[in-house]
Amino acid sequence: MNTKSTNIEDSHRTARRARTSRAEQKLETRRRILDAAIIVFGRDGILKATTADIAKEAGVAHGSVFVHFGSQEALVAAAIEDFGEAMARRLHETMRRGAGTREVLAAHLSGIREREDFYARLVAESSLLSVEAKNDLVLMQSAIAFHLVPAIEADRKTRRIKTMSLSLLFNTWLGLIHYYLANRELFSPGESVIDARGQELLDHFMSLISIGGKR
Amino acid sequence: MKLCVACGMPMEKDEDFPLGDRTKDYCVHCARPDGSMQNYDERLAGMTSFIVTTQGLDEGAAGRAAKAAMARLPAWKTHP
Repeated sequence: MNTKSTNIEDSHRTARRARTSRAEQKLETRRRILDAAIIVFGRDGILKATTADIAKEAGVAHGSVFVHFGSQEALVAAAIEDFGEAMARRLHETMRRGAGTREVLAAHLSGIREREDFYARLVAESSLLSVEAKNDLVLMQSAIAFHLVPAIEADRKTRRIKTMSLSLLFNTWLGLIHYYLANRELFSPGESVIDARGQELLDHFMSLISIGGKR
Repeated sequence: MKLCVACGMPMEKDEDFPLGDRTKDYCVHCARPDGSMQNYDERLAGMTSFIVTTQGLDEGAAGRAAKAAMARLPAWKTHP
């Protein structure tokens, strides 16, 4: 091998490394903006938040938000999608351990607790969001239902929980926790409503759907 | 871990694959009884019905959400 071809290979290798690190950097910046958006949406409200504040929180130039997400609406949709993916991963892990209905619902609460400020804003502002964001919310609930249904069916077979419409069971659960999240300043001022009341809500819901009361 | 190209579900166990065939890129829920992959309309109907059953939504609203989900999945990205 002569020196010339070695030099060419070296320069190709350097270029490949530079491309990889540029791609990694791009992903990192995207992640940083998304994390900042979730914080700012939770703090200021999804509709009130500004991309300037999100850029400031992320420590990037304002234009960078649009390079990575195109529009504020797309950033909202990406934040919902990211929340849904994290929740699905958590529930998937819970189901793999052979969890029952109570454990899946407890994992659902823990997933919400992780980004409670953002999720509470989603609950409060959902009817005002874009069609795209509304669809993303339906899909997020669908991923939760996908993990919950096998647990419910197994608990029904062993006659632990009552037979009732799946959608009414799921909506009764969502209705309960969403009410507490939307009004969390009344239920637990200055602290997490999931920490303060989550266990009580879970116990109550399980007693409603269980055969022979509390489970 | 493989993700189903037609619905996005993670596929780990043999029973996640159509007829237990781990070489397939789509999951058991997206397969017909003979193991072949459902077409766009069959998958859309399946996803819509799951949303209606589990969330009680109006069928039109459920169908719009299902279409939006499918537009992002590898199997349906090029569907007009």
